[in-house]
Amino acid sequence: MVSVSGYSGLTRTALYAGLLLCLMFFIGPIVWFFMLAIRPPETAFAMPPVLAFKPTAAAFFHTVIDPGANGRQAINSLIVAVGAVLLNLPFSVPAAYALSRFRMRAKKYVMLWYLGLLMAPPIAFLIPYFILMTRIGLSGTYLSMILVLQTLTIPFSIWVLKSFIDEVPKELEEAARVDGARWYVIMLRITMPLVRPGLIVTSMFAFVFAWNNAAFPLVLSSQSTATLPIGTLGYFATSGVTWSFIGAAAVLAMLPPMLIFLIFDKYVVRGLTFGAIKG
Amino acid sequence: MAVTVETAAMQAVPRRRRRVARYLPALLIAPSVIMLLCLIGFPLVFALKNSFFFWNLQTSPVPLQYVGLANYELALTASAFGASLVNTIILTVTGTAIEFFLGFAIALLLATQLKGMSVSRALLIMPTTIAPIVAGFLFRYMYDPTGGLLTWLANALFLPVPAEGLLGSPNTALLSILIADVWQWTPFFAIVLYAGLLSVPKEVIEAARLDRASFAAMVFRIKLPFVLKTALIILLLRFMQLFNTFDLVLVLTRGGPGTSSRTLGYTLYQQGLIDFNIGIASATTWMIVLIINALVGLYIFFAFRKWEW
Repeated sequence: MVSVSGYSGLTRTALYAGLLLCLMFFIGPIVWFFMLAIRPPETAFAMPPVLAFKPTAAAFFHTVIDPGANGRQAINSLIVAVGAVLLNLPFSVPAAYALSRFRMRAKKYVMLWYLGLLMAPPIAFLIPYFILMTRIGLSGTYLSMILVLQTLTIPFSIWVLKSFIDEVPKELEEAARVDGARWYVIMLRITMPLVRPGLIVTSMFAFVFAWNNAAFPLVLSSQSTATLPIGTLGYFATSGVTWSFIGAAAVLAMLPPMLIFLIFDKYVVRGLTFGAIKG
Repeated sequence: MAVTVETAAMQAVPRRRRRVARYLPALLIAPSVIMLLCLIGFPLVFALKNSFFFWNLQTSPVPLQYVGLANYELALTASAFGASLVNTIILTVTGTAIEFFLGFAIALLLATQLKGMSVSRALLIMPTTIAPIVAGFLFRYMYDPTGGLLTWLANALFLPVPAEGLLGSPNTALLSILIADVWQWTPFFAIVLYAGLLSVPKEVIEAARLDRASFAAMVFRIKLPFVLKTALIILLLRFMQLFNTFDLVLVLTRGGPGTSSRTLGYTLYQQGLIDFNIGIASATTWMIVLIINALVGLYIFFAFRKWEW
């Protein structure tokens, strides 16, 4: 018997079984880690695994609020991520506008060059960044991390924003141009408001890139500017730190990107494909 | 850079304005290009210079003496460069391939658009949103040899688990890193390819159905070409990301046991940030940069040749 959706009962069951398997494999580990953060420490490595336990917020309290530095590190992560988003816009907005609106022979090469930068190995730049930033006195500052993060955020934002500006009809701008408006007035007053979804996409992804980046803070942050992943990494070398603490800190690091992707779900595909697919 | 302005209206405006317009596009692109050139250029020049000097940061704050190509020789011979390169290639090629095909299969599953698929789609991307280093913590917990969930699961399924644990055995260390990476990035391919599949025009699918196209023909001859452009970009990106991986390795195995799971990225990490041997690390940096440029250049040349911009 064929149902409304066009799949027979057996096929449907098989498809749902596949879906269930996928969700268990991809979402299960995250749930398991969330449980680690709220379970009593003695059940963390119980064999067979313990599913029923009385939740406790002790680990969260110790690592995030009380003596641990994770609260401070979360704020550091936030400063760096917001800074990276804000600094990226004045560079990427004009470039994306130019690449979308004007005809140039080198356009293809400029675009591919931006894309190529995203493939540079971050690890190769860590030592030079560390020494160069120390020499100009920026090592350990938020600014140093925000600056080097632009190697990721600017190229990405230009690709995404260009795709959005491409979709704005030129006629809208031409009307203003005939009225004598200057190019920057047109860009900022007419085009930018129309590509607000594009600004949302670039900002959310730039934020997540920066928030999740562990390579640059590894060498550029100091004790007081360490971001969340670096702080958590430090736990492995600290005696007396149990997996419950690591779990609590890691969950704190996982939550913002997850929430951003869930809230702005309709923009996710656009960002993942560098603006190519509307989703 | 030769620039012409394409709108008809621009040609009607006075001459002075037109001259501004001639340089305008280059002017608008310049800040981003200069910023990026500085951020990429300085470190590369810095590394190139120091690759010819003996310099260990633990003994001296400045480069000590010119040693010619000795750092390159040492990097190639003394620090398991060959083993790292082989591991990196194995990890990168198998990882990208598994993630692409598994992701494509999941995309096809989601594209059936049965009830619940759109919620699942929103949830499935979650692993990709996590920082790789945090994903590393997650898997290190699950790989624990005495009480990890995956160790327990493998035992329950009668799969042989090495006594040293999955991360502690030279036979399974690299595989364990691969699994963590596949977990994190398969959803990325699945979501992107799913969106691509949805963008295939209905008429095309209908026409193919009327022609009685087989399932395989439908997937590979009709649907895949529509997502090819995007697939080529994300394949390249993922390939290079995986090629550069070091954070997963850092958290999970530190390249061990021995050199069994050491990647080029981790070798570089060790030379620079553990041994503080700037000279050798700089030499390795340049060898990696050359390898990557060759790979990316070849790929772009062949894959993007026929693109319209």
